[in-house]
Amino acid sequence: MAAIGGAFQHGTRLLMIQATRHRPVQWIAAFVLGLALGLPLPAAGADTYTRAQRDYWAFQPVQRSEAPPGGEWVRNPVDGFVLEALQAEGLGPAPEADRAALVRRAFLALVGLPPSPEEVREFVGDSSPDAYERLVERLLASPHYGERWGRHWLDLARFAESSGFERDVTRGNAWRYRDYVIAALNADKPYDRFVREQVAGDELWPDSFEARIATAFNRNYAEEGNQKDLLLARQETLHDITAVVGSTFLGLTYDCARCHDHKYDPITQKDYYRLQAFFANVNHDDRFPIVPAAELGEYRRKLAVWEERTAHIWEEMSDLLMPLRNYTPSELLARYPDFVIEAIEMPAGRRSPMQQWMASLLATKTCGTCPLRPKPHLDPLFRNVAGKLKGEDKARFEALDAELQKLAHLKPADIPRGTGITDVDADPPPTHVLSNGQYTGPLEEVEPGFLSILDPRPALVVPPDGGRFTGRRSALAGWLADPSNPLPARVMVNRIWHHHFGRGIVATPGDFGMMGERPSHPQLLDWLADEFVRSGWSIKRVHRLVMLSSTYRQATAPAPGSALERARRADPFNKLLWRFPSRRLEGEVLRDSALRVAGLLNARVGGPSVFPPLPEGTPKPVGGWKTETRDSDHRRRSVYVFVRRNAPYPMLDVFDFPDSHESCAMRNRTTTASQALSLLNGAEPTEWARGLADKVRREAGIDPREQVEAAYRFAYSRRPSPAEKETAMAFFDRQAGIIAADLDQGGEPPVPASVPERVSEANAAALVDFCLMLLNSNEFAYGS
Amino acid sequence: MTKRVPKHTPASRAPLSRRELLARSGSGLGSLALAHLLTGSGLLPSASAAGRSGLAAREPHHAPRARSVIWLFMEGGPSHIDLFDPKPELERLAGQLTPPSFKLPVTSATGSHRMPIVPSLRKWRQHGEGGLWVSDWYPHVAQHADDLAVVRSCWADGLNHTGATRQMNTGSILAGRPSLGAWAIYGLGAGNEELPAFVVLTDNKVVRGGPTNWGAGFLPASYQGTHFRSDGPPVLDLRPPSGVTDSRQRSRLDLLQALNRHHADRLPADSELDARIEAYELAYRMQSAAPAAVDVDKETEATKRLYGLDEKETARFGTNCLLARRLVERGVRFIEVYCGSGSGWDGHTKLEANHTKWCKVSDKPISGLLTDLKSRGLLDETLVVWGGEFGRTPFTDSNSSKSAPEDYGRDHNPWGFTMWLAGAGIQGGRTIGSTDEIGFRARENPCHVHDIHATILHLLGLNHLDLTYLHNGRSERATINGGNLIDELLA
Repeated sequence: MAAIGGAFQHGTRLLMIQATRHRPVQWIAAFVLGLALGLPLPAAGADTYTRAQRDYWAFQPVQRSEAPPGGEWVRNPVDGFVLEALQAEGLGPAPEADRAALVRRAFLALVGLPPSPEEVREFVGDSSPDAYERLVERLLASPHYGERWGRHWLDLARFAESSGFERDVTRGNAWRYRDYVIAALNADKPYDRFVREQVAGDELWPDSFEARIATAFNRNYAEEGNQKDLLLARQETLHDITAVVGSTFLGLTYDCARCHDHKYDPITQKDYYRLQAFFANVNHDDRFPIVPAAELGEYRRKLAVWEERTAHIWEEMSDLLMPLRNYTPSELLARYPDFVIEAIEMPAGRRSPMQQWMASLLATKTCGTCPLRPKPHLDPLFRNVAGKLKGEDKARFEALDAELQKLAHLKPADIPRGTGITDVDADPPPTHVLSNGQYTGPLEEVEPGFLSILDPRPALVVPPDGGRFTGRRSALAGWLADPSNPLPARVMVNRIWHHHFGRGIVATPGDFGMMGERPSHPQLLDWLADEFVRSGWSIKRVHRLVMLSSTYRQATAPAPGSALERARRADPFNKLLWRFPSRRLEGEVLRDSALRVAGLLNARVGGPSVFPPLPEGTPKPVGGWKTETRDSDHRRRSVYVFVRRNAPYPMLDVFDFPDSHESCAMRNRTTTASQALSLLNGAEPTEWARGLADKVRREAGIDPREQVEAAYRFAYSRRPSPAEKETAMAFFDRQAGIIAADLDQGGEPPVPASVPERVSEANAAALVDFCLMLLNSNEFAYGS
Repeated sequence: MTKRVPKHTPASRAPLSRRELLARSGSGLGSLALAHLLTGSGLLPSASAAGRSGLAAREPHHAPRARSVIWLFMEGGPSHIDLFDPKPELERLAGQLTPPSFKLPVTSATGSHRMPIVPSLRKWRQHGEGGLWVSDWYPHVAQHADDLAVVRSCWADGLNHTGATRQMNTGSILAGRPSLGAWAIYGLGAGNEELPAFVVLTDNKVVRGGPTNWGAGFLPASYQGTHFRSDGPPVLDLRPPSGVTDSRQRSRLDLLQALNRHHADRLPADSELDARIEAYELAYRMQSAAPAAVDVDKETEATKRLYGLDEKETARFGTNCLLARRLVERGVRFIEVYCGSGSGWDGHTKLEANHTKWCKVSDKPISGLLTDLKSRGLLDETLVVWGGEFGRTPFTDSNSSKSAPEDYGRDHNPWGFTMWLAGAGIQGGRTIGSTDEIGFRARENPCHVHDIHATILHLLGLNHLDLTYLHNGRSERATINGGNLIDELLA
């Protein structure tokens, strides 16, 4: 039985690999015919969906309703909707937050950094009626806004700068995608354009480097470079892309329909593969040039000269090294499955689309396991057996190397390159519904198409001229950015709301399906979605609506009393927003804020990622971690810390940095002892505390009471209460005594590097300890 | 196959959605959930930090047979057909290509399926009353034959190290899922308050796939494994910077908690903030508890010798095995001990030399661990698991036929391999399942990784079908879509 199954599998594989070309014409004809007859081509039968599925709110068109008028409290329509929901439960909003709290909240929310005492003073002292509006505008215009909000998008894009799996190979150009996201947010790039660029930038704007870099959204998958079953590798990648596209842009768990129809949502298994089919012919390209044509021509000309002048050297080197290799290229090829070998040996013009796809993947491999033998100077493993050379051969190799060095001046510096995806060509391999999601179990063949409950027809795909693209992703991008699609705008405004309030209007921002939560304010969600589209898909417009509302300006701590008690009973989790919620800052905001408060932050925007030192005793990650030599590079914002997929940066990891193997719509928010240990004892926090202590002394001199005042202004944006001041003074005395005793006993307690005159070492060290605890405190970690 | 009704709870119908643990926990309104409900609404004073972070001890689904698990992970893939699964047929077929009747795979890891079969060079003997076959590579382990239940019919999906290692840990060859240890802690809570509940011990090389192997995946980070460093303090940032005395550290913490109290006075009661206060106290206790737990100098010389600490080859892995026992004594629930981290056992060429080395490294420490656990009465409530991420093929992986027998290697074999379990009241001295005549594919009673995971959870008192967590609309479980209990092991 199993043997028959095996034969069957082999047959179907052949079928997929050798499928005929030129199918698009046939089904465009079918599409047109279907339109002409007025018949939707059924992708799903009439009773595929239950009544509940058909009526489910998320699949109904967005409906704008007028905001309830409300009263004096209502500043904009957001408040009208929120107030109505509160009043329905007999609740009311909290009073407005004080101005110092508000300016700190706005800074942390939009740029992920606390304000300086001057910035607080300026805002608190500004009595003009539009002071807060101008503050929000200024923050939205800050280049740091994109760093803060770009990170949210990177969570969705499962952004990482390495391949994962065994070698966790560095993707040297991946940071350009991160910078693309940051720049797009800073420029308030219309969201529909943002979506189109990431899904199909290469097809729609082939001459725009920016648009091509945007396609890295779909390149951010983890990848086993050592996988020899290339069809399996392809299928895993397609599964990854399908899941991430479905959840990011549509807020749907398409992934649940990989092996069977979705158990709850109207997503058929066929729909899953219809979505996957848009990507049937994509492959990654990690080295496309991003320089103007003239510069590229000049580079290529120079490179050709250098290659020609060094060709004989490479050849002779290769002759010396080849016998030392474990495997020759042909031996390596022999280790691939037969269907890969057939694909490679088939002349390029005669390959089936699937064979062409396999050849294109193999061509991207430049490591020593590649049977195609890339140019030696592009093969990072070319020299890895050189150490085995002996005697004459060794001398000869060294001589050749010296010769190569002499010609090094001819070699042009490499040009900037981008990473992304693109189609192999215009002719995609077929897509089948797959039994159990396995490529070895193809069932019915499908054409690209959208969610059938919304549009059951095959998508209208028109391949652009030139033969480079299938045109499929442009069609998908059009639908994902279509104002009449009920999901994309709702999903995106909900994400913005989620990040502002810690909870979305739909509390499951990655799942708008029937297993997700129902919206707490459905009319508000639709009103915002409609306003978002009307504003030209402006994300900043949504920020303004949210942040200028009275809802947003509420205090975190309502006045105690019966109203508070009633609210806590009626809505213990503050779903209705009777106060501004407080939540622990994300790891990035915590670290960046501490660096800023300590006066250590290097606020440079953009560029290749940095490698701050790893904590002592951390094993060196596979794939490498070349610690920066300059201290200032250790203190860049966290969004610029290199993201190694298998070894996230410990300080961020411990604070729930998402696993970059899959898209993350909502981070976990844990409270753990390891977090406490790293903030108490880690080398970085110790440095922050010293920095803050230095700043405090510069500002306040050596009077401890003045120091406490200054430290509170820096760390908390407010003045200490008398009781807090007493706590601090008592601590200074106690701590200085303990440290002095440690010193007396010949201990070597850490004290600041420079201690001013008239201050004892013990007092100076006590101030550092005080600063460290401010940065560890709940008030700092929660932002207020 | 019986159809299982999925136990999904739509998030919208879960009343307490803000408390993620509760909303996503499939185990219904347990005590954990209730505690969250009450503290969240201010009806109870603060939850403990353990409660907040989900580490409070919880009732298992049924009476557990094991309190702790020690997983001895032979990373790189030990050759089952040279250790526990003798195959005389290999000698008969030596030098030939694998006959088609054995159903060669589409591809092997390195394409070696087009290479000839090679015999085992081992000497085999039956051991113990049960007559268990163990080769001469594991003389010390063989002395415990009557404690070992040897599963000869394991199989897995991963052809390459990273995927296979990850699957053995998380059930999936792809990253992003919680490790079995994380699931166990999610289900049971921590067994102690002063140490991490899930500890990973390795050699000095990085495990393939790194921390994704003991990550929490989509579960809250509190459940992830903690990698104990082999030199210096075992936990990252465990100790204050040198020179900071305990009194200075304690005084810092007293200040911190005073600052936090001032802060709390201005806010409505908030269990999250209270939990953070508790977390610092827990961290403070851990500062002394963790170094004490790993201080093997407290052990007698006899114990150290038992684990091979006095010999160069066995000292490192022996120390880790000894640490595992010390952690079990302290209530740590899940301990993974890697031997050959970074694919040490990966004998593609010169299997003879490779396995001679790693068997020597692991034989005595494992034997010492079993002896020690038993003599302290801990073996009955501790499950010891031995295995790699896969086994090795009957055919060679050496590049050319010119090789001498000692140059032979073997390729990765996820289609059939051996693992064994001991302790937790499991009856030893027997084998379960079998592979075909050449040890290539699991034949009788095939046990997939999911089956092994389901069985381990069962021994810990957890039903793998009920231990669910709502993630992206799906009630996820450790065994994904599979998992059947290996009844023979439980019998």
